[in-house]
Amino acid sequence: MSTAVKTQAALISADARPASGAWAADARADAANRLAAMGLPTRRDEYWKWTRPDSLISASADSAVVLDYEGEEPLFNDVDRLKVVFVDGVFDADESDALEGEGLEIERLADAAAKDIHWAKDLYGVLEARGQSPVVRPLAVHNTAMATDGVVIRVTGAVSRPVSLIYRHEDAGSDAILHSVIRLEEGAKLTLLENGPAAARFSNVLEVDIAKGAEFHHVRAQGRDHERQAITHMFSQVDEEAVFKSFTMTVNGKLTRNECVIDIVGDNAVAHVAGAVLGDGAAGEFHHDDTVFVTHDAVACESRQVFKKVLKNGAKGVFQGKILVKPDAQKTDGYQKSQSLLLDDDASFQAKPELEIYADDVACSHGSTSGAIDEEALFYLRSRGVPTPIATDLLVLAFLADAIEEIEDEDIAAEVTERLDAWLARRRD
Amino acid sequence: MAGLDELNVKEGVEEETVEAVKSLAGTYKYGWETEIEMEYAPKGVNPDIVRLISEKNDEPEWMTEWRLEAFARWEKLDEPSWALLNYPEIDFQDQYYYARPKSMEEKPKSLDEVDPKLLATYEKLGIPLKEQMILAGVEGAEDMPAEGRKVAVDAVFDSVSVGTTFQAELKKAGVIFCSISEAIKEHPELVKKYLGSVVPVSDNYYATLNSAVFSDGSFVYIPPNTRCPMELSTYFRINAENTGQFERTLIIADKGSYVSYLEGCTAPQRDTAQLHAAVVEIIIEEDAEVKYSTVQNWFPGDEEGKGGIYNFVTKRADCRGDRSKVMWTQVETGSAVTWKYPSCILRGAESQGEFYSIAITNNYQQADTGTKMVHLGRDTKSRIVSKGISAGKAQNTYRGLVSMHPKAKNSRNYTQCDSLLIGDKCGAHTVPYIEVKNNSSRVEHEATTSKVDEEQMFYCRQRGMDEEEAVALIVNGFAKEVLQALPMEFAMEAQQLVAISLEGSVG
Amino acid sequence: MLKINNLHVKLEEEDKQILKGVDLEVPAGKVHAIMGPNGSGKSTLSYVLSGRDGYEVTAGDATLDGEELLDMEPEERAAAGLFLAFQYPVEIPGVGNMTFLRTAVNAQRKARGEEEMSAADFLKFIRAKAKDLKIDADMLKRPVNVGFSGGEKKRNEILQMAMLEPKMCILDETDSGLDVDAMKLVSEGVNALRDEGRAFLVITHYQRLLDHIKPDVVHIMAAGRIVKSGGPELALEVENNGYADILAEIDA
Ligand SMILES: Nc1ncnc2c1ncn2[C@@H]1O[C@H](COP(=O)(O)OP(=O)(O)OP(=O)(O)O)[C@@H](O)[C@H]1O
Ligand SMILES: [Mg+2]
Repeated sequence: MSTAVKTQAALISADARPASGAWAADARADAANRLAAMGLPTRRDEYWKWTRPDSLISASADSAVVLDYEGEEPLFNDVDRLKVVFVDGVFDADESDALEGEGLEIERLADAAAKDIHWAKDLYGVLEARGQSPVVRPLAVHNTAMATDGVVIRVTGAVSRPVSLIYRHEDAGSDAILHSVIRLEEGAKLTLLENGPAAARFSNVLEVDIAKGAEFHHVRAQGRDHERQAITHMFSQVDEEAVFKSFTMTVNGKLTRNECVIDIVGDNAVAHVAGAVLGDGAAGEFHHDDTVFVTHDAVACESRQVFKKVLKNGAKGVFQGKILVKPDAQKTDGYQKSQSLLLDDDASFQAKPELEIYADDVACSHGSTSGAIDEEALFYLRSRGVPTPIATDLLVLAFLADAIEEIEDEDIAAEVTERLDAWLARRRD
Repeated sequence: MAGLDELNVKEGVEEETVEAVKSLAGTYKYGWETEIEMEYAPKGVNPDIVRLISEKNDEPEWMTEWRLEAFARWEKLDEPSWALLNYPEIDFQDQYYYARPKSMEEKPKSLDEVDPKLLATYEKLGIPLKEQMILAGVEGAEDMPAEGRKVAVDAVFDSVSVGTTFQAELKKAGVIFCSISEAIKEHPELVKKYLGSVVPVSDNYYATLNSAVFSDGSFVYIPPNTRCPMELSTYFRINAENTGQFERTLIIADKGSYVSYLEGCTAPQRDTAQLHAAVVEIIIEEDAEVKYSTVQNWFPGDEEGKGGIYNFVTKRADCRGDRSKVMWTQVETGSAVTWKYPSCILRGAESQGEFYSIAITNNYQQADTGTKMVHLGRDTKSRIVSKGISAGKAQNTYRGLVSMHPKAKNSRNYTQCDSLLIGDKCGAHTVPYIEVKNNSSRVEHEATTSKVDEEQMFYCRQRGMDEEEAVALIVNGFAKEVLQALPMEFAMEAQQLVAISLEGSVG
Repeated sequence: MLKINNLHVKLEEEDKQILKGVDLEVPAGKVHAIMGPNGSGKSTLSYVLSGRDGYEVTAGDATLDGEELLDMEPEERAAAGLFLAFQYPVEIPGVGNMTFLRTAVNAQRKARGEEEMSAADFLKFIRAKAKDLKIDADMLKRPVNVGFSGGEKKRNEILQMAMLEPKMCILDETDSGLDVDAMKLVSEGVNALRDEGRAFLVITHYQRLLDHIKPDVVHIMAAGRIVKSGGPELALEVENNGYADILAEIDA
């Protein structure tokens, strides 16, 4: 206990917080105070019983070997996009495109925070703070207090090309904290791509406010460095007839916890969040945790959670998902799917798919399964001459397909599938 | 047209339901009180009270010590708050922990000696303490074959067991069925060996309190390779005001034996809430099988949420032997607050656990109930079917754990949790925990939440049923899988209860 | 018996007018058929008459033996003698077919102030009716319509009609999904119920059914109205030429 308190004090001291202008200094001080009040997570917390927070809250990051990608083409390379590059959490102007584009305003958080007045004031730490109830998320609060950079985007129309945040990892001991806020104005549309390991330890918060009729598409790939650790949070508020769609691919990584908090506040809105995970403990530890909380606070909205994990060699998967339907959120259509495929006996999966429902005219359901590969399907493929390893991989990809289908853009979905296939192929021989 | 005649009995069951809806005014049927002179231990709980309870039961020293140790542990524990339950803080010192009819001071030697007032009470509850062939109150039961229709009853009134029927006949078969207080005296070796071996003394707050202050309950021992010649049952009645009931049940099914055990509960209608904290432990050895069925109909509180029983129950079955089997079936319609998770420890290879539950909450009732299936042995199987029905301003939560340990190879779990909402002021929640630590096991969990289907309602009404009848019919259909798991006598009662519990929930 | 007068109906949730002034009278003892293109409003008419939610009557009325139907609850209409054989019979998992029917029969009897039927009588009654329709014991035991084939569902509807003995029977495409033999059985079931005090409104797309159940009058419904009425020969005309000629004739 005493070490935790000490660590916490060190983490949030006023001196340690990034220098910033008035609005950001206020938001950070407020976060520091909130964190002091709620404390850091411990294993006794209901939402941390399956994932150890220790290495995420230690004073410094455990070092992580930088993976040699051996000239492999970076993800999304063929996509026409607006690139924003951070190396170990530090903005790289040379590698990044000019921060401008049709239909949007974009700038670095560091620049926005230096100003005394900025529109981001209404969002930065605001959606995050709202997402602290009924479940606290102290590491997101910590991020709000401490984030050094990120992007601030306002989308006013249809954006011609996706914004692509590229997180490079070059320093084995880096500890990066980034925080981005995105506001989609009425009817606006944006695709956000994120990829890369980012740092030895990466804390990332994304706050996304989606106004009436706007659409937000998000595809993320978390980088293959085996020893990297990440704690990410996404907070989104989805207004009337708006669309939120997020997909995350995770392969490798010692510890990843992705929290997604979605508040559906306008009628007829849609929110989908999905994840595909491949974890192999043979190359180092692998622990992956998806913690999702979808709140329906409006009429006739649809939400989907589709999480698939393939685990082997001691890889561990965790899913904690919840659908909360508030009393007046009638005609809610909510579905949650969490499935794991355990390829050997050392892998483990823990899940808590929750429903909390206070409106009667709803159709909510969840399904959660865990098991080995379907022997019958495997046999069928083998009887047609497909060797076991290839047959297995085919079935693995088929298992992940539901999650990948949540990606709107077909080219990107194809590229994601290709990468997952390559990961499997590397382990085949 | 073969088959139609057999059909009649079964289908008649549901007919009863509909009739019950029509004929009953919708008030709690067991809300009356027996006027009887009682003696109480002083209010509150402390080591002296624990000693006093032990003394009243004429217990040996080891039992008193066991209780005192439990009490010491209880004092160090905090009341759990993780359940989705919201009730005023319980003042554990503002309760009576022991209440006994004065006439029970001298334990009656046979049923003939029991105070007529007590006998009348059970008669009125539909459980006459006579050694009769069939459970009373079941119309049409006369037509059933007498074989297997005997039910032995242990009747617990507030803190004491009033009497147990069919003891002699059971003894012939080698079955021990008596109150736990009697077992502590008569079969100390069995009690010592098994008590607290499934639910350890300090398992949880309420179980620990129960370990310190339990006053009575039932004890069952089925010897090896014995099929219990009749169904066993315990009927719990709370009568005294401001009094908690803390009963303890211990069931041991030795190798290759079988028993079906039923449990029923009622209490008078009162404005103030009352506490009930029970512990049930079941030990199942190799190739043995236990079926445990509950129809819980404690007073649920009135339409304004006043009064009712706070029901905190720890029930656990330990399938110790290979191929042992347990089946929990519960129909939870009563109680203002229910906190209850009948669980299965599947230790033996190829052991099996099943849990079938209907939980109905109406008005201001709250239920947080479910099960734990802990798979430890290889080739173990479990099945969970939970049907939650929430109406009025009630909250109904399924909470469960399915855990596949590394050594539980080739095990299976299937879970189906369905919730039905009737009205827009109630809530239905599902909180399952799934932990899988080997890959040869398969876990499947499905849950749905919805309201009563409008198409079905219209179809029923087009055929002439009114809304309440239609809802009762559809809800009984929704809960069918669980109702079918109950023994016949209980199934009928339970179907009626389903309908009655939902009275006033539509329109 | 059934009188429908200038009935206008729109969807409750949408601004969509479906029935645009239906006039229809079916006297006791008669069989009337309604034919009409898909989506013309035939099922809607049957639903509105039986009181299903989701529709709003914007004008007109409907009476059964002089009683205003549209003010009644669905179960009151049923007790008053209105029966609808659904185009898509509803499945009710867990509720035995027998239980369902017995509950319905007794609910209606009670509503009419009649004695409820005893278990033994009911059993005798249903057994006889089921036999006529070649419905076996197994189907009575199974949950209402769950896992029934299309044809079985339709036969089950007719069984219910036979059990409930309504005055006014509306059959919505009861013939669709039936094989040749089942069609005969169902028609016989209907014909057996034909009598002076009872009337039928048979919605169908095919002449075939009307070969078995001879209608007194055939109506053509299009775009929410009865556009043409005539004798049985009208059905033949539709069977041979489709609706194009009739519709063109009306437009003209
Ligand atoms: N609840 C509803 N929501 C939307 N449209 C509806 C609804 N109910 C009916 N309609 C529409 O109203 C029209 C009439 O439908 P209806 O079912 O009465 O047709 P029908 O004459 O029975 O057709 P069919 O011969 O195919 O059975 C159709 O266009 C249908 O799509
Ligand atoms: Mg139709």
